[in-house]
Amino acid sequence: MNLTPIAGNGAQQFLEGRFRGALEQAADGTAVLKLPLGTVDRAAAVLAAEGARFITIFAAGETTRFLVAAFAFRGEIVALQAPLLNGSTAYPALSLHLPSAELAERELHDREGLTPLGHPTLTPALRPDADDLEQRIVGGESFVIPYGPIRSGIFEAIQHVIETGGEDVLLLQTRPYFKHRGLERRFRGLEAVPGVALAERIAGIATVAHATAFSQAVEAALQIEPPESARLWRVVHAELERVANHLDVATKLAEDAALAVGAARFSILKEDVMRLRARLCGSRFGRGVVAPGGLASAPMLSPAELRESLGRFERDLARDRKLLLRTSSFTDRLIGSGRLDRETIDALGGVGPVARATGLSTDARFERPYGAYQRLGFDVVTFEGGDAMARLDVRFGEIRESLHLIRQALDSLERIADPAVLRTDVAEGESGAAFGWAEAPQGELVYWIELEAGQIRSAHISSPSLRNWPLFVGSFRGDVLTDFAFIEHSFGLTAAGADR
Amino acid sequence: MLEWLTRGLRKGVVTSRYPRRAEPETAGFHGRVEVVGDDQAAHAVETVCPTGAIRVSGGRVSLDRGLCILCGACVTADPQHFRYSSGFETASRHRTGIVVGGLIEQRLENSRPPLAVQARPLRRSIHIRHVDAGSDGAEEWEIAALTNPYYDMQRLGLYFTLSPRHADVLLVTGGVTASMTKPLERAYEVMPAPKAVVAAGTDACSGGFATATGEVAGGVDQILPVDVFIPGSPPSPITLLHGLLLAAGIVTEDSA
Repeated sequence: MNLTPIAGNGAQQFLEGRFRGALEQAADGTAVLKLPLGTVDRAAAVLAAEGARFITIFAAGETTRFLVAAFAFRGEIVALQAPLLNGSTAYPALSLHLPSAELAERELHDREGLTPLGHPTLTPALRPDADDLEQRIVGGESFVIPYGPIRSGIFEAIQHVIETGGEDVLLLQTRPYFKHRGLERRFRGLEAVPGVALAERIAGIATVAHATAFSQAVEAALQIEPPESARLWRVVHAELERVANHLDVATKLAEDAALAVGAARFSILKEDVMRLRARLCGSRFGRGVVAPGGLASAPMLSPAELRESLGRFERDLARDRKLLLRTSSFTDRLIGSGRLDRETIDALGGVGPVARATGLSTDARFERPYGAYQRLGFDVVTFEGGDAMARLDVRFGEIRESLHLIRQALDSLERIADPAVLRTDVAEGESGAAFGWAEAPQGELVYWIELEAGQIRSAHISSPSLRNWPLFVGSFRGDVLTDFAFIEHSFGLTAAGADR
Repeated sequence: MLEWLTRGLRKGVVTSRYPRRAEPETAGFHGRVEVVGDDQAAHAVETVCPTGAIRVSGGRVSLDRGLCILCGACVTADPQHFRYSSGFETASRHRTGIVVGGLIEQRLENSRPPLAVQARPLRRSIHIRHVDAGSDGAEEWEIAALTNPYYDMQRLGLYFTLSPRHADVLLVTGGVTASMTKPLERAYEVMPAPKAVVAAGTDACSGGFATATGEVAGGVDQILPVDVFIPGSPPSPITLLHGLLLAAGIVTEDSA
């Protein structure tokens, strides 16, 4: 564990020293660096050299368009903001210095027609053609296996183009965006409340995380505070979602190892969590719960009932987990598979359990605590191995921490003065813009929402899955085709979240 | 290995008896939205729905579950006309069959009868190929849940298969994005006859939120002939099972 507390305003001090005159404070507290367009790449390189992690890049603004690049820097979000004057459609590419920006800049080029000058791999990203395959290894005995977009199993659509000599994975290209639905554009003109229903349907398996990040962005933009009880219930829902996601990964890995009873056991545990969520809020995915201002509906279970169900679940889980980790035919397939090192994670801006399995303690709940996480205690679970086994170890550790967080939240809910007050009114017709974030089961999820007279004018989503796909490619080092399923499932990513 | 066996046996039987016995409903579950009440409704309730599922015609309210994402905006705004219900048998062999309330429309006869009617031996052996054509990912979880011990769809002679060449049913999720159109059509073409297409989830029935962006076709029926529509965002595993049994011809729709 590596929990060095983050210095209060280390980011501010550095930015003031280095970018004097350009630094401004947005209404939501975000540090904004206002720079000319020609210098964004150099500013990004300066931040990256100081350990800032690239989050996303997008275009915003109506009459005056501007380019925004967001970074996670010393416990804050720093936004580089550059005006696109006189209809300029080109800017110096950030990916010249930051490999982590490559995919985001390709997407920006396709979506907004902004050209990143000097981008190393500027090819179309959105709306890929499944038949448009390119063999990169020339000569020798290698051949191409297009795996996807229709896959061997009940999986989401994505294409992995594998170049192999028969057994070794020599080269892998992962092509997302088969499911690009243009949903960020769909936010435009919606009010905050139907807006949250759309956010819930960006990545269904991370419904609560998306609803929370969206709601917190709206709340920050309009400067409203949800009541304490709502913050606590959000933790309960978000952590149940994390438990369900991690159990889904364990189930898929057990299936991959042909461990029939193990897979059945873990699918029972996952179904138990889904049913508990249905009893708690009427939706197996926690939909219709989190909304700007607090909660949209009152929980249907009391803290005591929830605690009892969790107790039973935890006893079952403890036995199955012990048995799974003792089954050598299972662990042998994970140990050493898809190994990532910390340098690759840093270079590609990895987040979530994938990053934490290399010893990095990156977690939005800890780096920039939001809602009730500011007061609840938990450990950021890290392992050093970097392989599929370490990623599973992180997930089991996180399930333990999630249950611990839920119990703390339930205890607090029984203690607070007004547990029935679940929502603060969202004033109508207000304007504002802000970032909002949440730690989804896949990693850090960031929303940027701009409201104009109560309606969403623009929205941008930075999904952890999109940021982690390049890591998946980077994790194949001497791994063979039969490791593929184990490595992919150990990442636990969602194509719907990445493609939007 | 022996430990796994005893671990499995100790749990006992958890499997649902559906469809032979009715599935016990979860109180308060948001399975579907019902249109209730006989009183006249105002046109204004149409605008409450973010996906345009509500129509008011002559004061009568109708709700297209193929467009409904179960967000509950109507339930909150107008509880006199809309109510959540935990019922799960929402699938229909007709697109108009998933529209409720209002004036009952004439149901068009489907061109294809259910699989078991076309080929009797298929009754206890139906192979299903799933294709994701742009879902939000939740549908895949609920489809995968059909093989867990709670639902265990193999007990009904339903199986997932990896190749569309072995499949009788194409189970499609999502409103069909541009990139998925060609792969979807190809999967359908190589299936042997008789074959059926099941649209699973509101996005597959109508495109849901995404239709307005122009990035999706607006439902599987824009690309392929659909035999069964399963609404829901996402449909629960039992709802999916009901839809698959409809496509197979093992259960039939209520004539009500």
